[in-house]
Amino acid sequence: VSDDHDHDDELALRAAALEAVLVEKRLLTTDQIDAIVEHYERDLGPQNGARVVARAWVDPDYRKRLREDGAAAIGELGYGGFEGGTMVVVENTPDVHNVVVCTLCSCYPWPVLGLPPSWYKSPAYRARAVAEPRAVLREFGVELPAETEIRVWDSTSEVRYLVVPQRPEGADGLSEDELAALVTRDSMIGTGLALEPRA
Amino acid sequence: MGGMHGFGVVVTPGSGRAAEHPWELRVFALSTLVGIHGIGAGSGRAIREEMPPADYLAAGYYERWLWSTEQRLVRRGTLGERDVDGWVERLRRGEKMPRREDPEAARHAVEATGQAPPLPRADRPRFAVGDRVRARRMRPAGHTRCPRYVRGVAGVVEMVRGVDVFPDIGPYEGPEEPVYAVAFTSSDLFGSSDEGAWTVLLDLYESYLEQA
Repeated sequence: VSDDHDHDDELALRAAALEAVLVEKRLLTTDQIDAIVEHYERDLGPQNGARVVARAWVDPDYRKRLREDGAAAIGELGYGGFEGGTMVVVENTPDVHNVVVCTLCSCYPWPVLGLPPSWYKSPAYRARAVAEPRAVLREFGVELPAETEIRVWDSTSEVRYLVVPQRPEGADGLSEDELAALVTRDSMIGTGLALEPRA
Repeated sequence: MGGMHGFGVVVTPGSGRAAEHPWELRVFALSTLVGIHGIGAGSGRAIREEMPPADYLAAGYYERWLWSTEQRLVRRGTLGERDVDGWVERLRRGEKMPRREDPEAARHAVEATGQAPPLPRADRPRFAVGDRVRARRMRPAGHTRCPRYVRGVAGVVEMVRGVDVFPDIGPYEGPEEPVYAVAFTSSDLFGSSDEGAWTVLLDLYESYLEQA
């Protein structure tokens, strides 16, 4: 553990040194770095994808546009940019469950989900999601009926994927904002389901 | 890594977070800015894959990004090989981080991350939706987007995604070619499984494919 700690300290020091060199050489400014960190921590994240999903749940025309040209429809809500130029939106139904992985690396739709969680980038997920999806889903507490078709999307090109989870039962009277609150990050990767509305 | 064994469980304590330490997100920002300003060589991702496999697996995710970002800057000649070591020593001796600010540049940098053009339409794709295709057997020496587990296996074209620069030649330098979403059956990829059958879909560049 202390070795790990020392190693982390060394990495933090080297990262700081790299930043110092670039700032000293007037190639970057400190506030550019601060601004990018803040943007990815604060502005981008699953709260954006949740708005897209909630809109798709309540507006059939929007849902159609989302399926036809994901990036354009997502852009209608003001989201887009790096790792979101070409977006394919897939829908979970009672018959079909979609799951997204990047076995080669860590491809992930930043504008709608933010930066990927550690497990998404882990060798375990990258190795197993394509080869034993039901076992992986079980780790996330998702048990699907045997007859559900599972479709695993390996993000091998510049295309990025967003899953529209099934709209939960009993959510009929909810507003779009209330619906968005039911949409979890994992449900938009396909390793989770949307939350049940509180009774 | 698709199909490999021995990496254990996916969900572990803390694995829901994007980063564990503040330096990791700063490295992410540095890498992004190196790209935006065009001051590094090549693609960070292709360079990360040059790490010796044992080192790659031992390194943390943003540790690889730190390594690749420095590599890109040195290979481009933006930094000298000893520049970062020099600052490591200065920081160890207690020197303060240099600080520069330019709010307009900061705003522009964030705006730049909002720009991402879609893949252009494929005008003359060789394969059509419904065609049966096979991923070629190959053993590329460097970066590729054709995972090992799919090579030699036949599937069905499900969509034509558009055209993109062929990524295996040099980062962002190869010719453009169509990209296809190809659906494979789990048993063709991995044999029989007690999970039953499922479908695995990959976006594959035309050069990876032949008529099956």
